[in-house]
This record gives sequence, structure tokens and C-alpha cells, in this order.
Amino acid sequence: MPVTFTFGEWFSARTIIGQTLADLGEEYPNLWTVTPDIGMTLVEFREKFPDRFIDVGLAEQAAVGVAAGLAYEGNIPVVSGMLPFLSMRTVEQIRSDVCYPNLPVKIIGTHGGLVGNGGSTHYAVEDLSLMCSLTNMTVTSIGDPLMVGEILRQSMKMTGPIYIRLGVGKSDQAIYEPGTHDIKIGKGIVAREGSDVTLFAHGTTVAQALEAADALEKDGHSVRVVDMFTLKPIDADLIEKCAKETGGRFVVVEDHLAYGGLASRIADVVVDRGIHLTAFERLGIPQVFAGFGSDEELRDKHGYGLSATVAATQRVIAAKG
Amino acid sequence: MAGSTLVNDGQRHSVAELEDLAFELRSKLLYLCGTYEGAVHIGGDLSVADILTALYHYELNVDPKNIANPARDRFILSKGHAAVCMYIAMAMRGFFEFDDIVNTYGQLDSAFGMHPCKVQLAGVEASTGSLGHGLPIGVGMAKSARQRNESHRVFVLMGDGETGEGSVWEGAMAARSSELGNLVAIIDRNRQLMTSHAEERVALEPYPDKWAAFGWNVIMADGHDMASLVSALDALPPSSSNRPTVIICETIKGKGVDFMERNLAWHAGSLGQEDLAKAMASLESTRASKGSK
Repeated sequence: MPVTFTFGEWFSARTIIGQTLADLGEEYPNLWTVTPDIGMTLVEFREKFPDRFIDVGLAEQAAVGVAAGLAYEGNIPVVSGMLPFLSMRTVEQIRSDVCYPNLPVKIIGTHGGLVGNGGSTHYAVEDLSLMCSLTNMTVTSIGDPLMVGEILRQSMKMTGPIYIRLGVGKSDQAIYEPGTHDIKIGKGIVAREGSDVTLFAHGTTVAQALEAADALEKDGHSVRVVDMFTLKPIDADLIEKCAKETGGRFVVVEDHLAYGGLASRIADVVVDRGIHLTAFERLGIPQVFAGFGSDEELRDKHGYGLSATVAATQRVIAAKG
Repeated sequence: MAGSTLVNDGQRHSVAELEDLAFELRSKLLYLCGTYEGAVHIGGDLSVADILTALYHYELNVDPKNIANPARDRFILSKGHAAVCMYIAMAMRGFFEFDDIVNTYGQLDSAFGMHPCKVQLAGVEASTGSLGHGLPIGVGMAKSARQRNESHRVFVLMGDGETGEGSVWEGAMAARSSELGNLVAIIDRNRQLMTSHAEERVALEPYPDKWAAFGWNVIMADGHDMASLVSALDALPPSSSNRPTVIICETIKGKGVDFMERNLAWHAGSLGQEDLAKAMASLESTRASKGSK
């Protein structure tokens, strides 16, 4: 059943994933879903295609290994789970079983960042750094719940692996009105035009960046927001273009370790291409075990919430060229 | 007989022929170990030489002329450090020339390296090397076969030391849960790890009970007695059955070369010309004494 929606409405990304996979299962008779006991989103798929669904129980390494075995046989496996475990407990299976033979295994999951109040065992905060380091891996982090379906759909045509990161994924605001933005893996999305500064974000911080841009507009600032949902391969041309068009002023805000995630990816491009920046600030999780609290409280506590984003953007705008 | 679409009759050698082939495999292994400058995992190669001979020259339904035939049996060398032994077994089965291995092994851009890579060497079913990865991959392959109503089997060869990896038991549970009677694990039970003998530091016993407790059908075999290996393979339940089978093969690390047998120093190594001659002499005498008994 096609998904119907209204811009600005709140959606469960998990529901979108479930519906999309159930649809794709019809289109792709070689599509499988594999999960280590995190199968709630897969109920519809499981009911429609019981012979292409595997729940291995609490065995993440087996989940990825089984997916590799399926992919060796020409299948397209989607492994769905919680990213703190799926990205770390299985990182060697992902590297050696999936990336080494470049198999079309899709890894999708929730709990990227300080979300869900599970404590530091349950926050995936190093995952993007780990995944970006893997040869053949494409790495994405999605904020718009409706976009997840599109990314999954596009990933079906990919010959290699992809990592798709979500926040909690239970209730997120739709960011993009359908048809208004070109969504393509490997290309950043200019979510909001602006000329004074570029605010880069991915995943759950995209909505926050847009909110910060709106707040700054009231003070007469023109803030561009780029949703760099693909961290690898990074859209280096867009980074270069933004440097030229927004006075070399960059702010990066992400729900990931401040070093090793998007900010680091952008910094690499800046250095490698010899791009001149006037000012650069990165907001993200410092090297601490973050503790408990709501998503918003934790972002504020660790210096990458809305007010910190607004303040950092003001500093970067004010920086002398 | 395993599978049905491929014709494997010509490769179902007699026990006596298999013994000759195993001797040839070991001779070639020693030759490579004596001519290649770097280390070869000769101990674990020699412990699986008979098993790989029985697989490639008796059991596996494979076609070197059509390596992608969907009806073929799948073989995963989960103990990837025995790659050389598999390469030679595959060469003897006709996948490529033995000289291809000898002339390029371990060299820049060679398809033949210390651990097998599917991308670099056609005919290899899975890239392996890190231990404990093969069984879950085998589960995925066997599940796929089931879903497509294919009757071939998936074989996964592991070392007993390798089964210390938790992922092996994750795979073992998944195989039982999915009722994969088309999946066969073969254990090279050489009772040695790299730096210790089994039970010295790692309690593997009661070993067969562990597999039985995971719901697997357990077959015991003498991994250096071709008649025992053949009867174990013949005893495999039909691939359509609902329990995975493990064949636990009692073996000796370094088997066939007296100074290597059960010797921790020969987990991996390189033979010089002098040692190569000694090793060959030992292998010959083992064969002679076996023939005379």
C-alpha cells in the first residue's frame, strides 16, 4: 500500500520501513529480512513472506553472517536491529563477511545518537565513524521518516552494502514535501537556502538545524541548511559549493561523536581540496559516556542542542574574514 | 547421493584411490611448504588433508567446468588458514593447475593467498580467514537453498579450536532453529590450538555432547581413515531432513610427518630443502607402514 502523508506531520519511521519492505518484497522475490530479535517493524513482511524472514534471536553476529550467506546466493538481505549492537558487536562480520566480498547487504536500525534514554550501552555514538572506515560501505543517516522508504528503495539497486541509521524512529516530523527535493544516495540535500553560513546536519539534527535557521532568520541572518544524509561517499562538490556561496562559514551539528562523524568527513574534504574557510564549528557528542535523560536534555547537556546550535551559528557568522 | 542435478559419479573414488589422492595432496603441500619462502599453516593443512580429499574426490557435487552451477554443493572453508590445502584439493579436482598455486602463492596480485578470497579466486564459495564466520554464512546459504527448493548441501569445515568463537554457536542455534538438514558442519578435531593442546587451557569436552545439546545430529569419524570418512559421509541424512549434522573428525595436527605431528611448533612454518627431504621421507614411510599392516 502506498504511503500517504502530509508535510510537517509526525510519522513512525519504523512503520515506513515495515511498509516499504513489505512492498519491496513483492517487487524483489530475492529480498529477505534478517533480525536479531528486533522484528517489530518486520511484522508485515514476515506475514507476507514467512519463507524470506529470519529472526536469529539475540545473535547479531549470526544475523550478519546469515545475511552474507544469503547475499552470496544472489539474495538481497536487509538486516534490521538496534544500531548500538548491530554496528559494534558485528563490525568484523560487516567488514569481513559483507564488505570484503562487497555483498548487497543492507543494515538498517534505530538508536543512532543519544536517543531513547537507554544509557550508554544503548546509544550508537561511534557507529558512523566505524562504518565510514569500511571499504565498500555506503553510510547514511536519515532524519525525515518518509525518506527512509525512498533510501531503502534506492538501495535495492546497489551492488554493495549500505548502512542506514535512524534515531528512535518512533515519531519524527516529515521534513521534505514530496517532490520538492531530489533525494539521491551520495548527494546532500539543501534543505533550506541561505547565504551567510551553512549549517550541516544529518539524521535527527536536521530538524533542529532548520529550527535554528528559522530562529536566526528573525535576526536577519540567512542560514543555509544542508542535510548531508550520506556520509560516505560524501558530497564533496556540495561542500565546496557551500564554502563559496556562504562565505566559507560552516557549522556542523550531529548526534554522534563530534570527532569521527560528519564534521570529520567535511574537514577531510576541506583539507584535501584546499578549501578556504572563514570559520568552522562542530557540535556533537564529546568523549564522555553521556548518562541518562531525554533526547533533548542530553543534547543540551552535551552542547549540541538547539540553543547551542543557534549560538555557534551566530559566532561563525560574526567571525572576521 | 548428495544433490541430484550434477553428475559426480566420476569423482566418487574408491577408498584406495582416495588414499592415493590424499598422499598426493600431502606431497604437494610439503612441496609448497618447502619452496615458498613464507610460513604455511602446515599443521592444520595436514590435519584436514584427508577430509578435503574425501570432500573433493568423493562427496562434493561440484563442476570445475561450471563453477556457478546452482545445483552444486557449497563448501565453506571456515578455518581459512588451511587455504593452501583447499587450493591444492581444488587443483587436483580440476579447478585450476597446481602450478598456478606454486608459481604465484602469496605473491603480489596472486589469487592464492594465506586465506581464501572469493573475489580473487573463482570457485571459492566465501571469503574466510577470521575464525567463527563460516557457519553463519553457511546457514544463510542453506536457508536460501531451502527457500528455492534446491536439494544441494552446504558443508562448513571448522577447526575444533575455532569453535571457541561464540559466533559458531550462534550459527549452530540458527541452523537448528531453521531445521537445516541440508547443512553439514565438519570439525577438524585435532585437539590443538595455536599455542596449546586442547583441554590444557580450553575445556572443549564434552565435545560431541555440546553439538548434540544444540540439537545437531552428531557423527563421529576418524579423520585420517578414508573408509571411516566415506562411511560418515554416506551416513548423512537426506538434505531434506530437518536436523543439521556435524561430523566430528578425530585428527592429528601435522598428520603424516613425524616431526610435525602434535607439535605446537608446526602450527605454521616453512620447510627448507633439507627439512623438505626429511618430511617427504617421513610421509613415504608412514604410507609404507600403512600399506604393510
